[in-house]
Amino acid sequence: MYGYIIRRLWQMIPTLLGVILLVFLLFNWVGGDPAYVLAGKISSAEQIENIRRQLGVDQPYYVQLWIFVKQVLTADFGASWSTNEPVSHIMTTRLGPSLTVLIPYLILSTLVAMGLALAVAYVRGSLTDRAVMIVCTVGLSISILVYIIVFQYVFAYKLGWFPVQGWSDSFGQNLVVYGSLPIIILLVVSIAPDLRLFRTFVLDEINHDYVRTARAKGVSENRIMWVHVLRNASIPIITHVMAQVPGLLIGAFLVERFFSIPGIGREVILAVERSDFPVIKAITVYVAVATMVFTLLADLMYKAVDPRVQLK
Amino acid sequence: MVPEMVHYAPFIGGDRMLEAVRPWLSASAVVLGLLLAAPATSLAADPQKVLRIAFEVAETGFDPAKVTDNYSNQVTQVVFERLLSYDYLARPMKLVPGAAEALPDVTDNGKTYLFRLRKGIYFQPDPAFKGARRELTVADYAYSIKRFVDPANRSPWRFLVDGKIVGLDDVAKRAAQSKRFDYDAKVAGLEIVDRYTLRIRLNQSDYNFAYIMAMPAMSALAREVIEAYPDDSNAHPVGTGPYMLKSWTRKARIVLEANPDYREVIWDFVVSNDPRDQAAVAAMKGKRIPQIGRVEISVIEEEQSRWLAFQRGEIDFIDRFGSFAPIAIPDNKLSPDLAARGITWDRSVEPEITYYFFNMKDPVVGGYSKEKLALRRAMILAYDTAEEIRVIRKNQAIEDQMPVPAGVVGHDPAYRSIIRHDPQLANQLLDYYGYKKGSDGYRNDPSGKPFTIVLTSEPQATSREYDELWRKALDGIGLRFETRKSPFSDNIKAAEACQLAMWGSAWAADYPDGENFMQLLYGPNSHQSNHGCYESAAFDEMYVRMKNMPDSPERDRLFLLMSRQMEVDGAWKLGVSRYRNVLVYPQVKGYRYHPINTAVWEYLDIDPAARRQ
Repeated sequence: MYGYIIRRLWQMIPTLLGVILLVFLLFNWVGGDPAYVLAGKISSAEQIENIRRQLGVDQPYYVQLWIFVKQVLTADFGASWSTNEPVSHIMTTRLGPSLTVLIPYLILSTLVAMGLALAVAYVRGSLTDRAVMIVCTVGLSISILVYIIVFQYVFAYKLGWFPVQGWSDSFGQNLVVYGSLPIIILLVVSIAPDLRLFRTFVLDEINHDYVRTARAKGVSENRIMWVHVLRNASIPIITHVMAQVPGLLIGAFLVERFFSIPGIGREVILAVERSDFPVIKAITVYVAVATMVFTLLADLMYKAVDPRVQLK
Repeated sequence: MVPEMVHYAPFIGGDRMLEAVRPWLSASAVVLGLLLAAPATSLAADPQKVLRIAFEVAETGFDPAKVTDNYSNQVTQVVFERLLSYDYLARPMKLVPGAAEALPDVTDNGKTYLFRLRKGIYFQPDPAFKGARRELTVADYAYSIKRFVDPANRSPWRFLVDGKIVGLDDVAKRAAQSKRFDYDAKVAGLEIVDRYTLRIRLNQSDYNFAYIMAMPAMSALAREVIEAYPDDSNAHPVGTGPYMLKSWTRKARIVLEANPDYREVIWDFVVSNDPRDQAAVAAMKGKRIPQIGRVEISVIEEEQSRWLAFQRGEIDFIDRFGSFAPIAIPDNKLSPDLAARGITWDRSVEPEITYYFFNMKDPVVGGYSKEKLALRRAMILAYDTAEEIRVIRKNQAIEDQMPVPAGVVGHDPAYRSIIRHDPQLANQLLDYYGYKKGSDGYRNDPSGKPFTIVLTSEPQATSREYDELWRKALDGIGLRFETRKSPFSDNIKAAEACQLAMWGSAWAADYPDGENFMQLLYGPNSHQSNHGCYESAAFDEMYVRMKNMPDSPERDRLFLLMSRQMEVDGAWKLGVSRYRNVLVYPQVKGYRYHPINTAVWEYLDIDPAARRQ
């Protein structure tokens, strides 16, 4: 087991180098020269040169790339080019609001989708099953933007059940008052695809011999579904959920923008708009590392859920 | 002519107050006792009065030398003070003393400005002052001006002083060589006559320098504060203005509180015939500035969110609601629904222009031959600005006739462009100058070679709308057209290198003088702000004369002549000036939009009873 973990960690190094190279090439190819944005309305060649020197973008590409590598190794990405705020401060202060919304959403979404998947799989082929699948298909085909606009208008503005937008310094208030509607919207958006996916996983298991055997032995349907079927269906579900976790690091930028949540998603958009390379670099690298780490964790969880799984 | 303060009494000092109560003193000792017992802040800001507003774009910071965005500048406007400011109500805009006692003495043909600072202005408390009360002096202004040319600050406002102040460039050059800016170095053009007197000497006449001294960038900062927070001056705004930063959640929420040490300023602006001004005067005259104790600013980027927040009363006024304009002000009238709620509508034309430049060095659209002039003229004739206003801008803009927008010195409302939308005339012009149509239906140049008009724009949805209008216009006159998409930073880089054939741009007034706009066409400003690299000896000669001249009818005439010259040469397709529509809830008293000093919060009051209703 430990050998497996060390081997997987070792394999992350070339992957990370690939990410660094790709981000570097993409930014230098399409990112634009930030000096001209930062120089203001009227600038001289001397000012542009001064800014380029201070940002380090006047250095040869290999020097800039090496600086990037060192930043990754030290986890110090310097300061934002547009605001001079340390990138580490951006990450630590913006992650909290994003996670306040996204963690409850991820937990609720997984639990609700799993519960519904078991239920509709149990009545597979029935009118209920078909109706739910039709609703899911329709739900899938609607953009999240529509959900946000309609829900904000109806539930926040017309009905007044939630604030239209806002954020406070209180975690409880943010979770209950300001975060509720964004969480509901994310839930509604994600339930349809998750339910369809999880239903498929459950149906695969329901048709196995061990389910028929359990029924023949007189095991209750509840126990069959919630213990035996769910446990075996959980491996692909874990894969799916773990794949979503790194996405929490980039937030949910549309929801954050519409509800004025000061999260990392808005920061990503602003960084792209302002060609703020230090912020883009940091977020990309963190997401890449998180993806690799959570993929490894997912593999380890397979073993915990199903002892038959061999880690090689 | 140097702008003069008229009809304005922004400051009633302690002596005048004493004069006012003297009869009472002699009349009754009891009254005297009551007057003395009355708290000094009885007329001052009430912490219970909270103004809630929204920014549509996140701020970047609060160091006046480092930030250029409108939203950061709004905050720096009220936290810091300039020597000069603007009359809140006067239109055309007029300069008035800010932290200065009076408008500057301008001598030596606009080359020397003498400022006298009010005494007894103090900075907001900060640990950088080590517990001492820190008085504002002219040395703070001199220090703040030097910061523009310190390479370490990479100030985007450097152009305001570059080459202007005697001796300042030399200090900057030494700093570039030594990698250290010497703030103690003497600068001949920044003479500190005494603690309260600053003499600024310019290399050349500049009658607009007083306007420059009223810009937010020209705020006074304390050197101790900047040196205490060298890496994060953006987060430590410590000024002498009416408000101070209470809390800041970056890019999300800014809370300002009234500065309890703010000098005594009384709301006393002269009323005009405008009923909106009259309502403001009726509500505010005689009150101490500021009245509102707390300003809460939320960054709400999405238009729907801002509009719904306003509709729900979560913000007290809204000034950006473009796509909701047809709902809020249908047919350019306030909707009955909003009017019934007591909401008022304040509309002004922004002191700004939009324009598309043609690069005079471009092989296709550039040059000054008759054929090239005809080509550019035809394109200008073909583009339908009225359609742009109607379809894209939802009727919330007016077509510009000259490069100097309304409300800015040099603008003449009677001036009319000689080039109107006329596709038929455009076709005739192209036919006449030999741009014959080929077998594909598109025109070739007079030598018979095919050519394509290339418009550069940004890869955004809004840009696409304008691209399509151009495509429609040029298709209508048989010109091949294509757009090239690239990021703004790349476009500005290419524009400064005179490499873009056509690009749409905009300019908002830094100060209300036409020179600020005409410099965009001045030949020597090619590779800087003159992105079309337009060079006209006639225009340049008039520009130089205008620049060295105080405000006068002769100077106004030069603006008209320069406008005409630009039109004749077909340097720009002039665009529009947008309306600034502001919807204000009835609890907000005294609101008038100011086109330059957009943060007017210090001049407002809140009526809590009206808010509850």
